[in-house]
Amino acid sequence: MPLILPLLLAVVLFCIGVYGVLARRNVITLLMSFELMLNAVNLNLVAFDAWRINDATGQTLAVFVITLAAAEIGLGLAIVLLLFRGHGHVDADAARDLAEQDELVEQEKAT
Amino acid sequence: MTTALFSVAGAVALIASLFVVTSQRIVHAALWLVVALGAIAGCFGVLHAEFVALVQILVYVGAIVVLVLFALMLTKAPTNPLPSLTTGRSPFAAVVAAVLALILGTGVVLAFGNEKIKPVADGSAQAVGTQVFKTWVLPFEVLSVLLLAALIGAIALSVRKKED
Amino acid sequence: MIATAWRVAGVGFSLLVVLAAALLYGVDPQQTMAGGAMIGEDFWFSYEFRTDGLTVLMLAIVGVVSTCVQVYSIGYVRERIASYTALVTLFTAAMVTVVISDNLFLLLIGWEVMGVCSYLLIGHYWERRDARAGAMKAFLMTRLGDVGFLFGIFVLGVGYHTFRISELGSGPIEPHTLTIGTILLLVGVIGKSAQVPLQTWLPDAMPGPSPVSALIHAATMVAAGVFLIARLYNVFVEAQTTLTVLAVVACVTMLFAASCAMAAVEVKRVLAWSTVSQLAIMFAGLSLGTHDGRRAALFQLLTHAAFKGLLFLCAGVLLHQVGSAAFVVLRRYTRRGASRKQLRVTFVTMTIGLAALAGVPGFAGFFSKDSVVEAAWEQAKDGSTVGWIVLVSVCVTTAMTAFYCVRMWLWVFFRTPALAGAVGAFEGDDPMADLDEPDANKLRDGSWLMLAPMVLLAIGAIGLGYTDGVHLNVVIALITTVLALLGGLAAYSLWHRGADPRPVVLEREYGVDPAYQRLFVVPVGWLAKLAVGNDRDVIGAYVRATGRAGVLASQGFRKLQTGNVQTYLAAAVVGAVALAILAGVIGS
Repeated sequence: MPLILPLLLAVVLFCIGVYGVLARRNVITLLMSFELMLNAVNLNLVAFDAWRINDATGQTLAVFVITLAAAEIGLGLAIVLLLFRGHGHVDADAARDLAEQDELVEQEKAT
Repeated sequence: MTTALFSVAGAVALIASLFVVTSQRIVHAALWLVVALGAIAGCFGVLHAEFVALVQILVYVGAIVVLVLFALMLTKAPTNPLPSLTTGRSPFAAVVAAVLALILGTGVVLAFGNEKIKPVADGSAQAVGTQVFKTWVLPFEVLSVLLLAALIGAIALSVRKKED
Repeated sequence: MIATAWRVAGVGFSLLVVLAAALLYGVDPQQTMAGGAMIGEDFWFSYEFRTDGLTVLMLAIVGVVSTCVQVYSIGYVRERIASYTALVTLFTAAMVTVVISDNLFLLLIGWEVMGVCSYLLIGHYWERRDARAGAMKAFLMTRLGDVGFLFGIFVLGVGYHTFRISELGSGPIEPHTLTIGTILLLVGVIGKSAQVPLQTWLPDAMPGPSPVSALIHAATMVAAGVFLIARLYNVFVEAQTTLTVLAVVACVTMLFAASCAMAAVEVKRVLAWSTVSQLAIMFAGLSLGTHDGRRAALFQLLTHAAFKGLLFLCAGVLLHQVGSAAFVVLRRYTRRGASRKQLRVTFVTMTIGLAALAGVPGFAGFFSKDSVVEAAWEQAKDGSTVGWIVLVSVCVTTAMTAFYCVRMWLWVFFRTPALAGAVGAFEGDDPMADLDEPDANKLRDGSWLMLAPMVLLAIGAIGLGYTDGVHLNVVIALITTVLALLGGLAAYSLWHRGADPRPVVLEREYGVDPAYQRLFVVPVGWLAKLAVGNDRDVIGAYVRATGRAGVLASQGFRKLQTGNVQTYLAAAVVGAVALAILAGVIGS
């Protein structure tokens, strides 16, 4: 089996994740895209492990990454809940409390 | 044989993940994520990382996606299609992602275009366990502390304050 | 309290100068050095002082006049006493520095401090526009001369390889260097002593307080020019060209100034022009290049200090009591000799001062002027053109001086029989002229603080004439007396007829001021406008553009600060991609 196959799959998955992060509005979908990217990394780890190292190091790291992803999603969802509680929505591009304030006022006037 | 299996699983993962980032129903996106993650678990299996594949299914599909669905529920996500789920920046984002894919793909092809993965013995949890408790024991312990911290952090973030 | 302290300090300092002069009198000339440093590799610069006969003479003049002025000012100056007294004291100290220094740079320091002090003192009544303008004019014109003075010091010092005054004139020097250096020094002297063509500042300095005028005209500022040439006399004698230039300048100045004084209608202005004229007589004596000439010039400086100081103090009393020194105002107080009777001491001392100025036999000015004429005659006898020029000019000036002295004396203190009380010749000068007779009974001579200096100087104006030993050349004395008498008689006859013809050209003072206005002030004004425009529209434009560009850029940059996390992320990814491409391009 050519090594290039899992690698290319990982590349494409990663870029789909990037697209999702940049293009989606709902914060929860952003988190899903993060998961996709993390999985692309995992795929790389496993593929390289199978290719040359062969002592399960890559697999171990992949397990670690999965654990990390679990922690990340837990915290991320907590933040999402907080956002929803404070703003009443979970739109990433509507949460602009750190924006230049004049711009914000102008935008509010426009809407 | 493995190549064909991997190709099928990879194709499913690709299509499912495309649906994840393009679907207009959030719940559907979450369900497509299940498919994608499962297909990737299949890929792991083909690559003889059966333990990782199982962990993937357990943790991702069993825990993370469920968490996501709960979050969708708690944030009162609508189940009907939402055209506004994708922002106006999506063409730009698509271009960026495509260019990135082009660069990474070119690099990968140039670097590993002729490499083959030799058929390997079946993977075993024993190998992973040996690695974890021999080489990676310290990161493993740190990771456990990290999980604890994430747990406490999530609780601290989501608890309602009294004055609210 | 502070004012009193300053006054005590001022009078005390002046008395100290007098005391120093008294102590140094008759002491052998000596030089003292106080610290110093090498300038470059060739020149040793140090604070060197010297005392000799000239120093003692100048110290005596400065000390006595300054004491008189300080005492007089106690009764005269009413406002800003502290600053006034401090400046007068500084002025005196600067003149003392000039007098005792044995180093050209030290002398320059005193010289420049005097310039600043004269500026500040002339502008003492800075509420008045003419005082401000006069102060500025005095400062600028003396500065103009001082530029020449500074370069003259450089040329002479480098030429002689020393800046010590006592060593100047001894070493070998290129004739051209000597001529250039002395001419440059002469420019400074002309500026300081208000000779043609830098003469216009002195009459315009009259809005300053009268005691200051007395100090400037008698002892310090303008006398410094005469002192400098007397001090560097052995240098100037070597430079015949410079002496010729000096003679021409002096002769032109004395006639010019005397003729201007003949047409002036204000006491202080007449006195100012007479100062210019008398200083020119001193320079004429110096320009002869002989020992007698120098001696005569210094003699004239001594007597002039006494009677000119006296005259300005008298003018101060008139200003103080009447409120103006214009003839037309003063004439209103002449009914039944009111001003003469009420201001008896002033009248008497002013008469003595004018007599000394006019060269009435027996008074100080007579002897000193005659000694100048005599020195010129000694030169002229040998066929010296300079001697002849000086001789004729001084004689003509004598007649003119007598004319304006008598004219002023008569018009200020006496009622013209021909006019029978009408203001007469000066009617057109003052819109207030047709007012009623003012109350002359309010006139008072002032306190003894003001009168005592005047009496002291009046004694000097008579007695100083005999200090040099009376050696009269009868022929010359006769000629100058007759000339003075002619001038005086002309003035008397005009006054008797109630006429005061003033040629327009003299009233305008030969149009020098308007000419300077057109030649220098207006172009400089254009230049200033150009500079302002340049500053505002060119340099300022750059400054404003910098600010505006910053504002515009920040307005652009804050648009980037949307608060949208995804935009930031997109930028980060694009940046990473760009970096990757760049790395690939560079790496391949």
